[in-house]
Order: sequence, then structure tokens, then C-alpha cells
Amino acid sequence: MKLLTHNLLSSHVPGLRPGGGFPLRIELGHPSELPPEPLPNYEADEEFLRRLHHVLLEVEVLEGSLQCPDSGRRFPISRGVPNMLLTEDEA
Amino acid sequence: VGCDRSKNLVDICGEKHFQAFVCDALSVPIRSGSCDACISIAVIHHFSTAERRLATIQELARLLRPGGTALIYVWAMEQEYKNQKSKYLKEKNGSKNEDKEMNTGTAQRPLSDQGPDNSSQDSAWSDQLLKDLKDESHGAKPVADFRLPVHTNRTSFHSQDLLVPWHLKGGTKKKEENVDTVLVLGGSKESQELSPVFHRYYHVFCEGELEAVCRSLDCVRVQKSYYDQGNWCVILEKL
Repeated sequence: MKLLTHNLLSSHVPGLRPGGGFPLRIELGHPSELPPEPLPNYEADEEFLRRLHHVLLEVEVLEGSLQCPDSGRRFPISRGVPNMLLTEDEA
Repeated sequence: VGCDRSKNLVDICGEKHFQAFVCDALSVPIRSGSCDACISIAVIHHFSTAERRLATIQELARLLRPGGTALIYVWAMEQEYKNQKSKYLKEKNGSKNEDKEMNTGTAQRPLSDQGPDNSSQDSAWSDQLLKDLKDESHGAKPVADFRLPVHTNRTSFHSQDLLVPWHLKGGTKKKEENVDTVLVLGGSKESQELSPVFHRYYHVFCEGELEAVCRSLDCVRVQKSYYDQGNWCVILEKL
């Protein structure tokens, strides 16, 4: 799963407040290489731009999970494929 | 980005490095209004009630941004249209595509089944139906009047709601527990052989039906409506 794909995804657990399912929190085995917020004047920061480019265009999540920000429900990612299916009870 | 209900099929997309995820068409985990375009090819005809079919189209519309467009293909009841037979009817048995599944992702036709076995399935009723009939005659709980006929591949459709057989060609797919095995009611030795058959539900659409369902929604406009090789098709625009 690329980050650009993640940008489209939203949790669809029933009963969430509007917008409550986005963005899904990406959980990986290791910490991110990016700072939590872009620094002011990030356009001039070569190192940051390199890392940003890498994350946007070169990184794919193969194993991990996506966590719904409101409900905490986790959707697994395996072999690069997120499984967003809800169970019978949830749907 | 692509999605499908079948994890196994989506995994194949992943192996080919496409962006895809597993979900149900009735609840697509994508932000509303985030798509410029969506396609739904040979999907909606698998939903078993008019309500569910409408709901999938509503869900599709939700994903579109205003001005965004959707393309929907569903199987047509009319496999012969304007005196032209569709490819589905025309193609003879013995299709070369041995390893392809019956289409879930394409508007093309399912593979023809093996030639000789198929002819003896003309009066095909699934094993489950035969069981139900037996139960009924023994005074067990009443079986619903509603029967789903099992289709004979590569022939025209006689009912809008039906089961279409798909033969598992011994290979990569896991066998499911309650899969019907076809007991071919013939006499030859060949016909004694059991091969697992899956019965897939289809609701084939009549002329105008898909368009009418789409027109019942306020949030989209039917831009185009046409017939293409045994499919009814619409192009919708989100208002």
C-alpha cells in the first residue's frame, strides 16, 4: 500500500461521527523517518524533501495495520494489501 | 486503486504491484467525493436483491466528486441484440484460457466449460435443490417456492435470477466446504467423474433496467446508456 492510496482510505466502521474515520493511523514495525509536522521553510530543506519524496513515492507498506482514529478498530495489511472487510456483526 | 470482495483475487493484484484492497461493494472504505472516476465492471449483477443493487450504485456515487463519472457494466438478459449474438453465445467450447477464473473483473464471458460434460447438464438443478426437493417430499420443513435455475453456459438466459456454474480446474484454489459436486445424470463412465462446481448467483439485467435504477438517484445523471457484447452499460455523472 502506497501512501497515496492510504490518502484515499477511510475507516467505515458504522456509527462514526462524520470524518471520524480519516485518516487511518498507519502502524508499522518501526518508527517513521519523518518528523510529525513539516518545519517552516521545508521547501528549502533538502534532507527533508528527500525523505518526503521517498515516503510519498518509494515506500510501500507490506505488513502492518491501519487503525481507525475514532473506534480504534484495526484493519490488517498483508503483502501490501489492506483488508478492509468488516465482520458480519460490524456491518 | 482497485478493490474486490475476494481476498485471494486482490492478493493477485498485490503480487503484480497494483494498488488494491479488500472490501465489500456495499461499504467502500474510501472518502466521499474523492474519486474523479470509478468503474464497476461485472459486479452489481452478483447482488441478489434490487435494494442491494441500488445500494451499490449509491455507494459508487458517494465516492465521486461533483462532475466525476462512473462506468457500470452488468450482464444483459438479452444475449442476442439487434440480431447480433454476443461473443458469449458465439464462442465455441474449448476456450484456450484454462487458468482463468470465471470473470469477476471483466465484462467478457465466463470460460466455456468442457464440451462433452456440459451437454448432459441441460436439465441441471443444483445438488442443493435436489436435496430440498427430497426433504419436501418427506414432510420436512416447507421449502420456499423460489427456485434458482442453474444456467447452461454459453446459452441464452431464461431467467433474470440464476446460478451460473464455474468448474474448479484442479489447481491453485482452495476447495470450499459446501461446494456442490456435479453428479451428472448420464450413464457414461465419463459422467461419473466428480469435479467441484461452484454456483455463482447472477441477476441479469433487462433493457432499460440498469438505467432506471440509476435514474432513481438524485445525485447522478445518466450521461450515456448502451449495450456492449452482452452487457448493459451506463456512464453516470455525479451532480
